[in-house]
Amino acid sequence: MKLYEYQAKEVFEEVGITIPKSKLIERIEDLDDALKEVGTPCVVKSQVLSGGRGKAGLVVFTKTAKEATEEASRLFEHELKIKQLLIEEAVSIKEELYVSITVDPASAKALLIVSKEGGVDIEILASESPEKIIKEPIDMRYGLMPYQASRLAYKLGYDAGISKSLKKIFLKLYHVFVQYDAELVEINPLFITEANEVVAGDGKLMIDDNSMHRQPRFEKGQSDYKSDAEYEAAKEGIPFIEFDGDIGLMCAGAGLTTTVYDLIHYEGGSVANYLEFGGPNYKKALESMQICLIVPSKVILVVTFGTIARADVMARGIVDAIKELQPDRPIVTCIRGTNEQEAVSILKEAGLEPIFDTEEAVRKAVELAKGGRL
Amino acid sequence: MSIFIDRSTKVLVQGITGKEGSFWTKHMMDLGTNVVCGVTPGKEGQEVEGVPVYHSVKEASLHHDVDASMLFVPPKFTKDAVFEALDAGIKKIVTIGDGIPLHDMVAIRQASKEQGAMVVGGNTSGVISPALAMMGSFPHWIERVYKKGNIGVMTRSGSLTNEVTAMVVKAGYGVSTLIGVGGDPVPGTRFAEFLELYEQDEETDAVVIIGELGGTMEEEVAEAIKEGRFTKPLVAFLGGRTAPKGQKMGHAGAIVSGGKGSVEDKIQALTSAGALVADRPRLVGTLLEELGVEKK
Repeated sequence: MKLYEYQAKEVFEEVGITIPKSKLIERIEDLDDALKEVGTPCVVKSQVLSGGRGKAGLVVFTKTAKEATEEASRLFEHELKIKQLLIEEAVSIKEELYVSITVDPASAKALLIVSKEGGVDIEILASESPEKIIKEPIDMRYGLMPYQASRLAYKLGYDAGISKSLKKIFLKLYHVFVQYDAELVEINPLFITEANEVVAGDGKLMIDDNSMHRQPRFEKGQSDYKSDAEYEAAKEGIPFIEFDGDIGLMCAGAGLTTTVYDLIHYEGGSVANYLEFGGPNYKKALESMQICLIVPSKVILVVTFGTIARADVMARGIVDAIKELQPDRPIVTCIRGTNEQEAVSILKEAGLEPIFDTEEAVRKAVELAKGGRL
Repeated sequence: MSIFIDRSTKVLVQGITGKEGSFWTKHMMDLGTNVVCGVTPGKEGQEVEGVPVYHSVKEASLHHDVDASMLFVPPKFTKDAVFEALDAGIKKIVTIGDGIPLHDMVAIRQASKEQGAMVVGGNTSGVISPALAMMGSFPHWIERVYKKGNIGVMTRSGSLTNEVTAMVVKAGYGVSTLIGVGGDPVPGTRFAEFLELYEQDEETDAVVIIGELGGTMEEEVAEAIKEGRFTKPLVAFLGGRTAPKGQKMGHAGAIVSGGKGSVEDKIQALTSAGALVADRPRLVGTLLEELGVEKK
């Protein structure tokens, strides 16, 4: 689960990492109070989960209260349905650093990553100037040792005061990483101010989804989902992603669904949604189809190769779902695996034409999406 | 021969009295797996499929020789169960749980590596040597997929494995040992670490890897080929070539992040090492033929 900037910064502040003065607002009427607290100039920051907010015009530096009001109004009316703005003090910046902690799967260690070139896209920096990135492996049994944090801080070449502050921030950030079962915790940029203070300019905290049961503090609400369909799917525990193409996928298994997604693109088609109704969800054909029907698509493509998720059970589920929901678009089925012969007769009895080959089913769906006939 | 498991491997089942545990223990034994004992705390003295149950792995291993442990344990308790198996000196562990916390997997991989043990999983169906034995939850009776032969298969996915392996079998081949390393970002054991076993296995003539976007496991396979640690023919199929950047596709590990893990990079790495990459599942069998791999 990805947290919003303001949530990550709340966590940072609690462990003693300095953040700029800021106030979160949910409606334009609250802007004046926020400005009184924060002052001008200030930065108006959309609280959305996508990256590259600056380039997209979703984070704006404003000099006066009037400018801040204009920008805040614009952002509240933005097509992205921005619900929250963080109004933040504009600090006087001398330098911008990058710092993050993540997991390194191969070495089974955590990795503290630091660069003196913050504020930029770290992926681009990593590919263009890898020498500007310093990595410190952390044995998670013992955690980040103070000497490691100190060694790394002094390596960056700042004076003793700043180096000491950096060391403390590295240690605190590691504490956050462990406490919140993080996939990633990142400060980019980490400011060094004109007053030689070290301040978190941004905050990213991604909690491992598999650890949510022991991270009760942050729970996703409906407003944290991109669409109603995504929210409904999450409530059912059905993996789902919405896109803006033509073909709704209702497949079994992550790998197979991803492969069908590729094959559709190879055939010149496009995908409306990714939905997995395999594994523990193989009896949820009705719920799955309901969610697929929320998404505007031209055809729904069902591809499965189930083993424990029996083909006959899935076929029966599909047929029953069609009867109940009377979908307004064609359904293409390619259901295989355990008891597939029974599955075939169930589908045929219901007037469907089962296909056995994934690629053939994909071609059929692409053709239908382009206006062909079933 | 096969790798990791055959009929002589003495298997302990952790969580044997649970619904999943007892169901799959029966199927493992039906295939020919030598399940010698099971563990469920509080259930010592019971039997499952004629197999005695003990309170702890330590206790079970006092009464039985054990080579490997199969875990049917919920993800929350997997770390504890793996450490219990390691503590009893077991060197082969398979865990199928989907949803093991990331930091738990880091601890599991670190501890198992240090003790010279191999943990397969989580988020996998396990390991199967068709017609011989298995540790996990494979419907071994589906002949279209689980046919014995000379191709080693390693995979990060379940359903896709059926799709691809069915194509390998359709082309006239069969499988020596299939290992599901799992779909999580931190699998207990990585593709390249199994390659050495396939290299030494006389019954494996070629290896198929079923990978996907995210992580660097496929790149490590390319590295192993380049360095001569693996010399047999290798064909890969990779899912997620057209996945949008930054999008997690189903598996927790299937995401391009930090500029690493795109399918394009993986294809580049594998082909430059001399492996072949199939664009579509259907072509995996064809490429094995192109490489001159015998059908036996």
